[in-house]
Amino acid sequence: MAVLDTPQEAFAALRPVCVQLTKAQTLENVARLQAGLAAVSAPALQELQEYVLFPLRFALKVPGPKQERLVQSVVQCITAVLATTRVKKQELLQELFSELCTCLSPLSGSSKKASASEELKLAVIQALHALMHSACEDVILSLYQPSTLPLLGFAVSLLLGLADQEKAKHIKISALQCLQVLVLQCDCQEHRPLDEGEMQQCGDLFASFLPGISITLSQVITGDIKQGHKATISAIRLFYLVVGSVMADAQLARVTKNKEKPPAERSQIRELMVHRGPDWSRSTAEKLSILLQKVVEFSSVHPHWKVRLELVELVQHLLRSCSQSLVGSFSHLLTALVGLVNDENSDVQSRCNEVLRGIAEQRIVVQNRALADILSENLHALATTLPRLMNSQDDAGKVSTLSLLLGYLKLLGPKINIVLNSASHLHRLSKALMQVLELDVTDVKIVEDRRCGPAGSLQHGQSKGRDQKKYFRFFTEEKVFQLLQQVCRVLGYYGNLYLLVDHFLGLYGESGLYRKQAAMVLNELMAGAAGLGVDVLRKREVSLDVDDLKGSITSILDEYTDQSNWYLITSIDAEEISHEHTVQRPGRAAHTGGVCSSVLLPSPEPQLTTRTMNSNIWQICIQLEGVSCFTAILGKEFRLLLLSTLYPVLEKAGDDTLLISETALGTLVDMCEACGYDSVQHLINENSDYLVNGISLNLRQLAHQAHASQVLDTMLRHSDASLLPLVEDVIQDVLSTLDQSYSNQASTFLRVLHSVMTALVQWFCLPRGEEHQESPAAEWRSRALSQGQQVVTAHEVEQFFLDYIQQKQIAEGNLPDTGDEEADEDPPLAELQPNGSDPDGETPLPSHAQLAKDVMERCIHLLSDGNLRVRLKVLCTLAQNCGDFLRQRFSKDVLPKLTSSLLSQAPASARAGPVYNHTLAFKLQLAVLQGLGSLCEKLDMGESDLDKVADACLMYLSAKQPLKLQEAAQSVFFHLMHMDPDSTWLLLNEVCCPHQYNPPHTSLRPVKLSGMGRQRNEFTDNVLLLLERLQQRESATPRAGTREASPP
Amino acid sequence: MHPWNSTVGSASLKLMLKLLPRLFQRRILIEDSMKSKVASLFIAQMALPPPDPQFVLRGTSAAVHTLHFNCGGQEPDVPILFSGSENGFIHVWNLKTHRVDTALDGHGRRSVYCVETMGSKDRLLSQGRDQRICLWDLAEGRTSVTDSVFTENVGFCRCSLLKVAQGRWLMAMAAKALEEVQVLELPSKTSVCTLKPEVGAKLGMPMCLNLWQVCRTHELVNPGISDITIRPDKKILATAGWDHRIRIFGWKKMKPLAVLDFHTATVHCVSFSDHKNPKERLLAAGSKDHRISVWSIYTQT
Repeated sequence: MAVLDTPQEAFAALRPVCVQLTKAQTLENVARLQAGLAAVSAPALQELQEYVLFPLRFALKVPGPKQERLVQSVVQCITAVLATTRVKKQELLQELFSELCTCLSPLSGSSKKASASEELKLAVIQALHALMHSACEDVILSLYQPSTLPLLGFAVSLLLGLADQEKAKHIKISALQCLQVLVLQCDCQEHRPLDEGEMQQCGDLFASFLPGISITLSQVITGDIKQGHKATISAIRLFYLVVGSVMADAQLARVTKNKEKPPAERSQIRELMVHRGPDWSRSTAEKLSILLQKVVEFSSVHPHWKVRLELVELVQHLLRSCSQSLVGSFSHLLTALVGLVNDENSDVQSRCNEVLRGIAEQRIVVQNRALADILSENLHALATTLPRLMNSQDDAGKVSTLSLLLGYLKLLGPKINIVLNSASHLHRLSKALMQVLELDVTDVKIVEDRRCGPAGSLQHGQSKGRDQKKYFRFFTEEKVFQLLQQVCRVLGYYGNLYLLVDHFLGLYGESGLYRKQAAMVLNELMAGAAGLGVDVLRKREVSLDVDDLKGSITSILDEYTDQSNWYLITSIDAEEISHEHTVQRPGRAAHTGGVCSSVLLPSPEPQLTTRTMNSNIWQICIQLEGVSCFTAILGKEFRLLLLSTLYPVLEKAGDDTLLISETALGTLVDMCEACGYDSVQHLINENSDYLVNGISLNLRQLAHQAHASQVLDTMLRHSDASLLPLVEDVIQDVLSTLDQSYSNQASTFLRVLHSVMTALVQWFCLPRGEEHQESPAAEWRSRALSQGQQVVTAHEVEQFFLDYIQQKQIAEGNLPDTGDEEADEDPPLAELQPNGSDPDGETPLPSHAQLAKDVMERCIHLLSDGNLRVRLKVLCTLAQNCGDFLRQRFSKDVLPKLTSSLLSQAPASARAGPVYNHTLAFKLQLAVLQGLGSLCEKLDMGESDLDKVADACLMYLSAKQPLKLQEAAQSVFFHLMHMDPDSTWLLLNEVCCPHQYNPPHTSLRPVKLSGMGRQRNEFTDNVLLLLERLQQRESATPRAGTREASPP
Repeated sequence: MHPWNSTVGSASLKLMLKLLPRLFQRRILIEDSMKSKVASLFIAQMALPPPDPQFVLRGTSAAVHTLHFNCGGQEPDVPILFSGSENGFIHVWNLKTHRVDTALDGHGRRSVYCVETMGSKDRLLSQGRDQRICLWDLAEGRTSVTDSVFTENVGFCRCSLLKVAQGRWLMAMAAKALEEVQVLELPSKTSVCTLKPEVGAKLGMPMCLNLWQVCRTHELVNPGISDITIRPDKKILATAGWDHRIRIFGWKKMKPLAVLDFHTATVHCVSFSDHKNPKERLLAAGSKDHRISVWSIYTQT
């Protein structure tokens, strides 16, 4: 259809239709008009607006009952007209408004309202909506005069009724939207913002409707959840828009004290008008407070996130515009806001945070005393109930309670101190924290997990030693812990640090029950105080200076590293050690009596001990984490505190419990980072003087000697020759301590002695035979030369060292039984000593050589140590290091004895019964057989010796021998195979040959082995087994050089 | 050399002679008849075992012969300990970091046996076996010898310093002649007087000197003691023993209070710090074993 642009054409087209409609109000005529309208352009229709509207309005006004369908289509037609035109006359607007409203109103006298169809309702609402939008700015205000109050009231109540009663969702929503337009708060941008006077005027008018609107809307909001979130959202929005405009602080401030008499108004209308004086606002605020509470409570837990988001908007809007008039409701509003900070939906969360930050930034809280009072009252109340809540709530409940707590703390900001200064509240707050942070210490694994790998290997596991997961007794969700962390940090950030540190240190010392929790809280407090990882709404005015932080940290560290808090029993071995020493262990005395009486029974309360140990482990870990945290806070300033902390931490890095050592390693890494060292090694190297101090002091206490020696050990590994002057006297200390306690501490010190020697060799013996090189050792030597001292040759030092190694190995031997029999093999060792010692004993040795000599002298004593077992393995080590000399001696002195004893004993053992296994002779045989193989290998024995060994052992391959001896003999052969496969093969085949060997060519003589074709005898099984193994070995490894070299 | 063969503060000789028998008596009593009783008493009196050193300073790499604290300054001045060692170095220890701040070398690698400050930590006097007394200026990190006095004395006698006015000191030192004591004014180095013994008096070589204004001096000698110091508050005194131990005595009754056992060689010197706050006061002992042990002891009394 062509568009009719000019009014004339349009008039011509529409006129017959309009006339028709005026004559007969039928659906068809209305439809025809509507069709005609579609063809008319907007400017043309604007000209003809009243003309077109007339028949439609006439149709509505015709007295008598009307067909609903007709009314609906008429209204729709009006909507169509209004959608494209603007209403420019006040009268038209008012008349149309009232006419549309009447469409829905029950006809006077009869109550047929319920009968109105949904379509009609919707059509009318849409028509009203269109009307409000089509009205011009100046015209529309004419609707908001006291005189039109009844009309407005009628529309409002009508729409409210629809919003409240109607079941259909879309009608509900459009009614609410229409209402929103009606109170001039439309979402769309078309409307001109009202000026202050107009707003005041509208506010006065709407005040009359406020009770109705607010009550109805709160009903809608808290109504059935099935109505869908959209209706709830619109209701909430409408609620806060209306309340926000009527109760706006700005408007109320302008209201005059006394009720003015509006001129020339009818008395009825005047009665309807409300005067928004102080009394009125107070009583209204009270009533609104009740409604708000209902609304907030309901919608803060609404399942749909958009509703919660809208609630945040509500709070924001009301806090912004009605911060004085609605102060009574703020506790509800803030509770809602604060509770939503940690909403599961991120949009809600971020918006909430934004709003909170806005509030904090606008200093609403700080400047508004009333608000601050409310907040601190809320906090008081929460603190009071917190311990109980933490006890009774589930994880989700704890999350909401804690986020509420966190929110309050954040909002209060610096005013936290008001609450903290009240002793009882601080007490309650801390009690709740102590309670909820209680760790679950039932896990046995933590106690059992042992550190593997060598002591002091610092590079190991650096990365994974971080942030051990803690298990709490009262909650499992990580979120709760994060909240608690934040709570503590915010406390530290805003609160009086001295007060808090003092209080929690008090709790730390008060009881073992609180110690771990208090330490955790302290760590977080300090982090917060330094502003690390703390999420706050507003920056504090004065940040703490480093000295304050350092002061607090120093006192906390003193407490942490105090003997009674640092040296805790974490394993059963440790308990045994400390049992003899002076570590205080309260409550232990009660048990000792019972344990002594029945050693074999498990200790009376094993559960308790595991728990205690677990708890101790955690305490140490938390304290270590604290140290990490403090290093991060202080950065390079922490270097000064290394004096007191590095040693204890390093000590823990060598702890046997996996968890502790890993945490300590993590701490060390953190220390490096914070203090600006490249690596742990660097850290240790640079601060070795502090460590030496700790070591020498701890060596003086029996209980800590083991730790001290571990630390020394670690330190030696990570340092260089420059350390020697420093450690010299400590090593002397170690030696003298060792002198005093050979019996019980020797084993702990051996490791240190070993590392001392390793370090010495490493530092001073690298340039063997190249003394003139520009190495530190060479320089050292030249200095020594210039001082007229005789230089000890590298060979001597090496000799010392080798001796030492041997003796250490001897000392480490732990073989239970065979030791004593083999003790007579030791003299060669002792003879080594004089060989290696300085030929010219009078001249003073360089200090490192002197040191080495001192160490060696101790080792001689250790040789005769009754507790330390010796075995053939020792000889192996000797062989490895002393080569020729020992081989000679061995083949000359030892081997004949061994072989002859084996040979002589063989018949006896072959005959013997099962009891033989328990005799000394058997044990001796077994030990010799077990060790002989590896010994031969290590010594790299010659052909003839090997033959001797093989001959001697062959006897033991007999099936008549005890099984264990057979196995041991097999092991000897395995070693022999390794050394000389060919001759072993030959030997075995001499005994028994399973295969026939045919020469590849007839010109070669057939191979004859004495073992061929023999009957199955006592040796057969074992020999076959060995041959098979030999075969496997040979086929697995390509022919090695040994094969060619072996047979002469 | 046994100290009382020649230990004579030339002015306090008589007093010392008077004290000597009494001390001997005490010593004998303890050592013989009442040894066990005293020992048990000793333990009973000291409910706690003697403490460990608070910390130990290492790194002089030579025997320590003399110590001098300077801890009286206000923040941010760090407390300082000067130590003079056998190899001629004076180490300036920072008692906060427990590390050597600077090492001063002014005595030609000959043993330093006396270090004193003159008023502030920036002016230092040191005496060494090179027969020189050096005056140091340490302000702003300088390490220079501003002046030196050649004593020409070959003994071990420490010089003694007395402040007479702002910026003026008297210093007594053993002079070239064996029995003479010379008093100089510093920093001008003008000779004030020379003390000579009466003709014919057979006094030994001066080994110890003290200048004082108020005459309240007690000398105490125990066999095998190389140094003795009274705490500034005159409540306790400490002795440095040849037996590697430091002994603490109550000043009034000479009651033995504690035996501090740490060093592994003769203790050469002991010194109490001059901290303003009595609770921070320290005791330092330097020993032949190259270590300086620092103790916090009887700070409560």
